[in-house]
Amino acid sequence: MLLNFDRLGWWKLVLIGITLLTAAFLLLPILFIAALSFGSSQWLIFPPPGWTLKWYQELLADPRWLASAWTSFQIAIIVTVLSVLLGLVTSFGLTRGRFMFREALKALFLTPMILPVVVLAVALYAFFLQIGLNGTLTGFVISHLVLALPFSILSITNALEGFDKSIEDAAVLCGASPLEAKIRVTLPAISHGIFSAAIFSFLTSWDEVVVAIFMASPTLQTLPVKVWATLRQDLTPVVAAASTLLILLTVLLMVLVALVRKGLKS
Amino acid sequence: MLSRTDARAEGSKIPAHRLRLTDFDLTLPALGLLVLFFVVPVVILLARSVTEPAPGLGNYAELLGSSTYLRIFANTFIVSGLVTVVSLLIGFPVAWALAIMPSRLASVVFAILLLSMWTNLLARTYAWMVLLQRTGVINKLLIGMGLIDKPLPLVNNLTGVTIGMTYIMLPFIILPLYGVIRKIDPAILQAAALCGANRWQALVRVLLPLAMPGMAAGALMVFVMSLGYFVTPALLGGTANMMLAELIAQFVQSLVNWGMGGAAALVLLVVTLALYAVQLRFFGTDRMGGR
Repeated sequence: MLLNFDRLGWWKLVLIGITLLTAAFLLLPILFIAALSFGSSQWLIFPPPGWTLKWYQELLADPRWLASAWTSFQIAIIVTVLSVLLGLVTSFGLTRGRFMFREALKALFLTPMILPVVVLAVALYAFFLQIGLNGTLTGFVISHLVLALPFSILSITNALEGFDKSIEDAAVLCGASPLEAKIRVTLPAISHGIFSAAIFSFLTSWDEVVVAIFMASPTLQTLPVKVWATLRQDLTPVVAAASTLLILLTVLLMVLVALVRKGLKS
Repeated sequence: MLSRTDARAEGSKIPAHRLRLTDFDLTLPALGLLVLFFVVPVVILLARSVTEPAPGLGNYAELLGSSTYLRIFANTFIVSGLVTVVSLLIGFPVAWALAIMPSRLASVVFAILLLSMWTNLLARTYAWMVLLQRTGVINKLLIGMGLIDKPLPLVNNLTGVTIGMTYIMLPFIILPLYGVIRKIDPAILQAAALCGANRWQALVRVLLPLAMPGMAAGALMVFVMSLGYFVTPALLGGTANMMLAELIAQFVQSLVNWGMGGAAALVLLVVTLALYAVQLRFFGTDRMGGR
C-alpha cells in the first residue's frame, strides 16, 4: 500500500510535492549562479538589470586565475594516474590475498575518507613544514593522493570482487603468463571500476579545498584556493563566472560517466 | 587421470603459497604512503597537544575550561544536530517517493541530486552567500510577500551555516535511505493493510521501523561529517560564529599554537571515531542493507 505508487491516494501528491520542492531547492542555487555570472550588476542584484560577458573577460584576462586552474589541472591529473595505479596494485593484493589483518588493513586504507579533512590538513601542514614540502607541487600531489586513494581502492576492490577469478586462471591454463592474463583478461573486465576510480580521484583532487588552503603558497595555489581567497574579500561576480565554468565541467563529467556506463553495459 | 589431478594439486600448492606473500607485498606501497603521510603526521599532531608548550594536560584544561571554546563546541553540536534533523525530515519523504515513483521522473530527480553533489563545494557555498545576503533574493522575496518589513540577518550567523550545510548534506541522506526503502518488500505493507492498519498506522508501525536502520546510519554519517566541516561554516558563519574545524585551523594558522590545535583536533577525532564505533556496533555494514 505505502510502497505502491498508484494506491497512495492523496499521499502521493504530498510525496511528489516534497520531492519536487527538494529538487528545486537543490537545483535553483546552481542555476542562479549561472544566471548571475551573465548579469551586469556588480552587487549581484537579481534579476540582473542587464546582461554582459565582462565577468568572464575579467576572469580570463587575469593570469592568476588561469595559473591556478592550470596548477589544479596538473595536480588532479598526476593524482588520478597515481591513485589508479596504486589503487589497482593494492586492490589486487587486498582481494586475492589471504593474509592476517587483511580486514584491518582494508579499514586503514579507507580511513582518510571518513576522518575530518581539517585534521589531516593541519597534520600534513605541520609535517611538510619540517620537510619543506609546503607550497610545492609534490606536497599537493601527496596530500591529495592520500585523500583520493580510498575512493580508488574502494571502486577497484568492488569491481575485482565481482570478477570471477577462474576466467583469469583459464587464460593462464591456455598459456598466458599470469601478468599477461591480468592485463588482457582481468583489466578489461574491471574497467568500469577503474573508470570510477579515475573519475573520483580526479574530482577529489580538483575540488579539494581544505588541505589546499594549508599547502598553498603565494606563488602556488589551486583554483579552489583562489576562489576561497577571493570570497574572503568580497562576493565579486567573477567568482560566479568561475563557478559557472566549474558547474559546466561537472555536467560534462556526468554526461561522460553516463555515456561510458551505457557503453560498458552494451 | 588421477596422477594428473594430483600433480595439479601439488603444483598449485607451492605457487599459491608464494602468491600469498606477493599479495601482501602488493599493498606495501599504499601502506607506506598512508603511514608516512597520514598516520605519522596525525600522531605527531596529537602528541604535540600533550607536549607543547609544557608536558601535561594543560591544553585540554584550557580547551574544556574556557567558555569561549565551550561555546564553539556547543555551536558545532547544535548546528550539526539541526542539519541532521532537517535533512532527515526532508530526506525521508524524498527517498520514499524516489523508491516508488515512475522511473522516468525518478531519474530526473537523481540527476539533480548528482549534479548538486558533484558541483564544486565552493560554488555551492558562494550561491548561498549571495542568496542569503541582506539584499539577496530570499530577503527580497520575503519582503515582497509582505512577510517581513526589514531584511532578516540570514548570513554571517548560524542560520546561514545551517541552511548551507543542509543543502550540502541532503543527498548524503537521501541516497542511502533510498537504497534501504527500495529493499523493503511491498508485500509487508500489503499485509499490514490486510490486517486492518490504516495509512498512518502502516507508516508509523511498519514503514518507519523498517527504514530505521537506514535513517540511523544516514543521520549518524551526516552528523559526523557536519562536526568536522570547515569551508561552509567559515564562509557562511562569519568569524563570530566559529565551529570546531575553524577553531583547529585558527589555532594553527593565525595563532601558531600547535599544542591547542592538536588538542582540538584530538577532541574532534575522538568524537568522530566514537560515533563511527556506535554505527559499526549497532548498524554493522551487513545489517545496514537488508532490513
